[in-house]
Amino acid sequence: MAADPNKFAIFVTSSQNMRHVVGIANAAEKAGKQPMVFFTYKSIHLTKDPRFKALAEMCGEENIAICADSYTCEGYDSAADIPAGLSNKQMRTQAFHGAQLEECGNYIVL
Amino acid sequence: MKILQVYRSEPNSDIKTLVAILNRDREADEFYLNVENPDYDLLVAKVIAADKTVSWW
Amino acid sequence: MESLKVYFLIANRMYGDGVRSGLGLSVENHYAFPVIMNGEFPPFTNYMSDNIAWVKDMEGQVYSCGAPAPDNCVDEDGDKLIAEISLEELGEALRDADFIIPYGLSKQTNEPPPSCSGA
Repeated sequence: MAADPNKFAIFVTSSQNMRHVVGIANAAEKAGKQPMVFFTYKSIHLTKDPRFKALAEMCGEENIAICADSYTCEGYDSAADIPAGLSNKQMRTQAFHGAQLEECGNYIVL
Repeated sequence: MKILQVYRSEPNSDIKTLVAILNRDREADEFYLNVENPDYDLLVAKVIAADKTVSWW
Repeated sequence: MESLKVYFLIANRMYGDGVRSGLGLSVENHYAFPVIMNGEFPPFTNYMSDNIAWVKDMEGQVYSCGAPAPDNCVDEDGDKLIAEISLEELGEALRDADFIIPYGLSKQTNEPPPSCSGA
């Protein structure tokens, strides 16, 4: 499957770039691209940022997820404390990152 | 091949060396995210225009 | 789907998790090349060493750039699991990569205090 030029991947790896995540996701949507966002490792702390829920709602269930293992490693409860805006189906593995690489014609790391 | 170099912080000498090699014989562009108000619309346009984007730490 | 060559560049001692993230792509049939820069090695727990070995088994490779490969991360024959690569060699390899992922944060200016031991 060829990467879709209308999908825009944001792979979030560090815990300090929420303004960039939100800014880029909004700009991508404005440009007619579907943002697809994955939060891994320390970046899962950004799920506690008050801007996270709106970001999740804008992306939609299929296009935003977090690494469940990272969330658990950092001390959160991945069963009883699903981040606001997400469902348990969006508590995923690194395979979601693989899907970003395969599906998205645009890609940036934060 | 159009390559876009994005900097999340001030690039150090390692990054500059790698960027020089990556940009060799290619059409290269850059964008600095470590500013007060990044123009995200411009950044997205540059990513869309590029064949490859590298976003340095 | 064509297998992709993906380089994970790890410049900060806290972000050795880039090896696990690379392994996650290996098991999705991509080629992962985590590169630990300037000696910012993670603790070589059994889990970390197993992951490094697994990346290699999946036709990827963990590299050390800017510091000798550690001799406390070895396979069952005692051979080093991490290969060395120079900055210039890395640059040339990156030209051939499908994706380049500077993972996490850049190197810290200050050395970690003793309270960070184990990290």
